[in-house]
Parts: sequence; C-alpha cells; structure tokens
Amino acid sequence: MRRGSIAVTGVGKEFGATTVLNEVDLAIEGGSFVTLLGPSGCGKTTLLRLIAGFLEPSRGAIAIDGAAMQGVPPRRRPIGMVFQNLALFPHLDVFENVAYGLKVRGTPATDIAGPVSRFLGLVGLAGFERRRIGQLSGGQKQRVALARSLVLEPAILLLDEPLSALDLQLRRQLQVELKSIQRQLATTFVFVTHDQEEATLLSDIIVVMDGGRVQQVGTPGEIYRRPASPFVARFVGDINMLPGRIVSVDAASAEIEIGGRRFRLPLAAVVGKTRAGASCEIACRPESISVQPASGANTDPGTSFGARVGALHRLGPMLKVSFDTVHGPLTGLMMTNAPAAQLVENQSVQLSIAADSLTVFANP
Amino acid sequence: MQTSATPRSLGWLLLPALLVLALFLGSVVLLFLNAFWTKDGFSLVYFRQIVERPDYHEVFLRTASISVVVALASAVLAYPIAWLLWRLPRWRNLLLVIVLVPWLVSLVVRTYGWLVILGPKGFLNEALAWIGAIQSPLPLIFNDLGVVIGLTHVLMPFAVIATLSVLLQIDTRLEEASESLGASDLATWCRVVLPLSLPGVFTGISITFLTSMGAIVTPILLGGLRQKMAGTQIYQEVVYNFNMSKASAWALCLLLLSGLGLVVLRAVEGALVPKADR
Repeated sequence: MRRGSIAVTGVGKEFGATTVLNEVDLAIEGGSFVTLLGPSGCGKTTLLRLIAGFLEPSRGAIAIDGAAMQGVPPRRRPIGMVFQNLALFPHLDVFENVAYGLKVRGTPATDIAGPVSRFLGLVGLAGFERRRIGQLSGGQKQRVALARSLVLEPAILLLDEPLSALDLQLRRQLQVELKSIQRQLATTFVFVTHDQEEATLLSDIIVVMDGGRVQQVGTPGEIYRRPASPFVARFVGDINMLPGRIVSVDAASAEIEIGGRRFRLPLAAVVGKTRAGASCEIACRPESISVQPASGANTDPGTSFGARVGALHRLGPMLKVSFDTVHGPLTGLMMTNAPAAQLVENQSVQLSIAADSLTVFANP
Repeated sequence: MQTSATPRSLGWLLLPALLVLALFLGSVVLLFLNAFWTKDGFSLVYFRQIVERPDYHEVFLRTASISVVVALASAVLAYPIAWLLWRLPRWRNLLLVIVLVPWLVSLVVRTYGWLVILGPKGFLNEALAWIGAIQSPLPLIFNDLGVVIGLTHVLMPFAVIATLSVLLQIDTRLEEASESLGASDLATWCRVVLPLSLPGVFTGISITFLTSMGAIVTPILLGGLRQKMAGTQIYQEVVYNFNMSKASAWALCLLLLSGLGLVVLRAVEGALVPKADR
C-alpha cells in the first residue's frame, strides 16, 4: 500500500457543550487527492486539525499508515500543513521560510540549500530566495507556503482553504498546479474547501460534510450523478428539486408520480426508505432537461410537458435558462450553440427529462 | 454621506493642543537661555565644570550605568510576565491589574515600602539574620543597588505593557505552522516568538532607560548620600541652590546623554531585527 493512508474511525469532537463532529468514519488511500467539502461550520476544518494533531478527538481514533495517532503531537506526525492565512514567518525571507523545517530538524547546513531550491523550483519560485515575505504577491505567498511544507516530504499534506483569499483567475491557475504537484509527488493531499467547483476539479475523492457528519464519500462523478442526500444534491452542482410521490414499489423498480404524470425508475435511483404512498423529492440536473419547440410534430404528450422561457443567462459557452412549468420553476443548461438553445424570453416550449438521469429522495 | 463642519469653524479645537505645544517649546527655549546666560551674561562656565570635574563625570556615568542596568533588568523580568499574560488570555485582565496596581499608589509611598523591606533593620535582613544566613545586615539600600531595585520595580510595568502589546500582534497560527514543521515549543519560541517580539522588548528598554535617566525621587530616597544621579543633582540645584543656569546646563547634558543612549539602542535593534518588520 502507498504511504500516506489515513483511517478515521468513530471520531467525534465536542467543544464544551457543542458537538462539532459526529461519529466520523473515513478511510483515505495513500497518494490520493481528497477534498473535505461542506458549508462553513460543517466540521471540515475541525476534522483536518484532528488529523494534524492540533486537536485531540473526544471519541474514536485516527491512524496514519496504520499507526495510532492518539497523543502524538503535530511535530511527530508525518504531516505538513498549509494554513488558510498561510502563516508564513514574516521575519524570515523566502529561503529561510522553506528551510525552516529542515533547520529545526537538525539537517546539516550543507544539505539544506539543495532541497530548498529544488522545491522552490517545483512551485515556480526559483530566484525568489532572498525576497522578504512582505514583498510577495498572494499567489507567490501561496507557493512559498506549499514549498515550506513539501520540502520535508511529508506523507500527507493538509490544506485548509489555502486558495480562498485569491481572485478567481489566480485560483484556477493554482488549482491546476496544485493538482499537478500532487500527481508528481504522490503525496496524500487532504484539502478543505467550501467551493464545490474547486473540489470537483481537484479531487480523486470528495468527502461531503454537513452538520458534523460525513454525508457522502465518492469520486466527483459519483457524487454528481448519484448524490446520497438532498443536501449533497443541492450542494454539489445546480439542481432542480421537484416534489412528488411514490405510487408503488416492486422488486426492481418504483413508480413515481409528479404532477399527475407517472414513470418507473430502477430502485437504485431511489434513496431512502422506499414505500408506496410516501412523498418524495425528485432531483434533476439542469443539463438533463431537453427542449423542443412547442409546435413540434414529434412531441409526445406522455413524457413531455409545456413550459414558458423565463430569464436567459449566458455563462461562457453555456446557456442557463429559467423555465416556468406546471411543476414549478425549473433551471435548464445547454450549449449556447445547440439548435435547441435558440430561445427568446416568454417563448412557449416543450420540455422532456430523461428518466434515467433522475434521483429520487424518499421523505422519511 | 454626512457633511461635516468646515475645518475653519472647528479650528478653535486646536487651541488646547497649541497651548501645550507653546508651553513645551517655551520651556525648551528657557532651558537653552538659562544654560548659556548666567547672571554674568553669556557663559559656558557650568558646561566647563561638567567637562572638567571628575566627580561630575562620575555622576553622569552612574546615571547612565544605573539606567542601562535598570532597562535590562526590567526587560528580562518583564518578558516572562508579558509572555504569561499573552499565554493565559482567560487570566490576562486580572494579571494585568496585578501588574499595574502599584501605579495606584504614590511613587513616594512605594519607594518607602522598599525601605521597610530592604533597610538595615528591614524585613529581608531580619529574616536572613533569623535563619542565620548572615551575621551583619546586607547593604541593600542607600547605595546603587537600592536605586536599581527601586527603579526596576517602578518601571518594569512599562516594559510588560510594551512587550505584551507586540506579543498580542503575533498570529498564533505561526506557532502552529512552526509545530507542523517539526519544531518543539522551545524551538518555536527561539525562532519565531522571540524574534517577532523583539521590537516590543526594545520599546520597553527605550521607555525604562529614558525614564530612569531622569529619575529623582527613587535615587533621593534609596540612593547613597554621596552617590547622586544627574536627576538628583539638578533637583538640588533648583530647589536648594536656586541656580537655574547650572541646573539647565546639567539638564541639557542629560538630554544629550539620553539621546546618545537612544542612538546606540536603535543601532543594536537594527542589527538584531530585520528591517521589514519594523
């Protein structure tokens, strides 16, 4: 097995009377890029700080590469950490910041310059050795923080929303670089963010958290296509949520009713306790809605329904459309240059939704 | 946006500040006038005295060395207290009150307190004699040691506040970053906390050094009869001899010496603290 695996078992954390984490179980494979994703206050930073050792869990255990971490201080854990505010040492220059960890570990002076310049090169800061921290731009500080941790070649690098202070352009660029550095070094990266796009772009595995619990663990694709809860569906990507009812259930499929129409879905697409008569929420991604002209001859009244085009928003190559339908407002997403996307406001159209793209959440 | 009153109509608010400034500048001008114009007209007689008389050299030397010792002792004693206040945010206000409470008592009363503790028949000597550690009382007072103890006690709170104010600006994440990079608590203190708090330590040294250079009450009460400091000499010239010209000449020399001390201090700070952090 590759170095840098993390096993979190039954971990809970309380601050006074407030429970911040609830029975978290998580297995992270060595060498992977894992993102802890969730809204603020969901416990993702607490979990990161528990792995780092700045906090001790109230319950449960954390192991790194099979070794129990209870009572092990951060400096004895095989981790590096990039802080949200970066926490660079303002009284040291770039070289000394990166050399800091090597020096405190008693590395002979002759063995320091080599790794420092190698890792400054890796993050694209060769030649910046003697700059002071105050003279660097936000992106450059980011790179110094990264090099400072990576030069010690930790098994695991923990990143606490390090990109959140940067503007979008720079953020995108650093995301790409971060991913490529992670691939080169094969270090386990555990990255905390509240930005689902960032998580989707960077991660091998996304851990979606809310209210101190892990809501879902999966690849970005799995989490997008098969969200495990209405919370995940709403948090990751745009989604339409329509109220419906489960009419009947058999061994392989369930019949769902929405606005007087009925259709069958495989049971795999239904999340929660499936029983006949239960109300449910039907999640539908905007891009799975297709549009036909209202007067089209091939319109099948059984699977399609009428709608009126509301606001149109251009997002680069994509067009986001708000529809008013009998089922309530729906958001659609299509390529701007697609024939179906030649829409004007207040136009009447027919919409249809591919049943296999839906996820149904049975209400408890 | 709210419209504020025009600057002209608020000009009278500057009056108190101008008054203070006028009094301050006026006193400096008077100081110079007094120092160079004696009752016999322009004269450098008191400056020549200071330059020529070895007993006066001794007074200035004693003033400077006592001030240096007091400043260093205050810095060394204040640092752990400031560090503790920084480390214990829950207790910070209470501890700060304890540090500052002596200021509620008049300087004279506090200084007499030291007589009770350090005097020949004081608490400390009696206690040491009682346990048999000493045969005759230790000379803890009415000498330079007494002045150093008294001044350090009076001035140390300034150093605590100066150091604490800089410690409070240090981001606690820096310590965590240091720890995540493998540093022990001691290494973190030596490599991160101490260098970042040095500007506060130097501010404290400046304040205590300058205040100690001009001390009058403590040297009079706790110092030896013949071991004057510059402040006590000036006090004597003004209050007992009414020789304003001599007092002014002394004050100017003391000012010069203090300024020199500050220049040296800045140079030391410049060598120890990187430029970008000041």
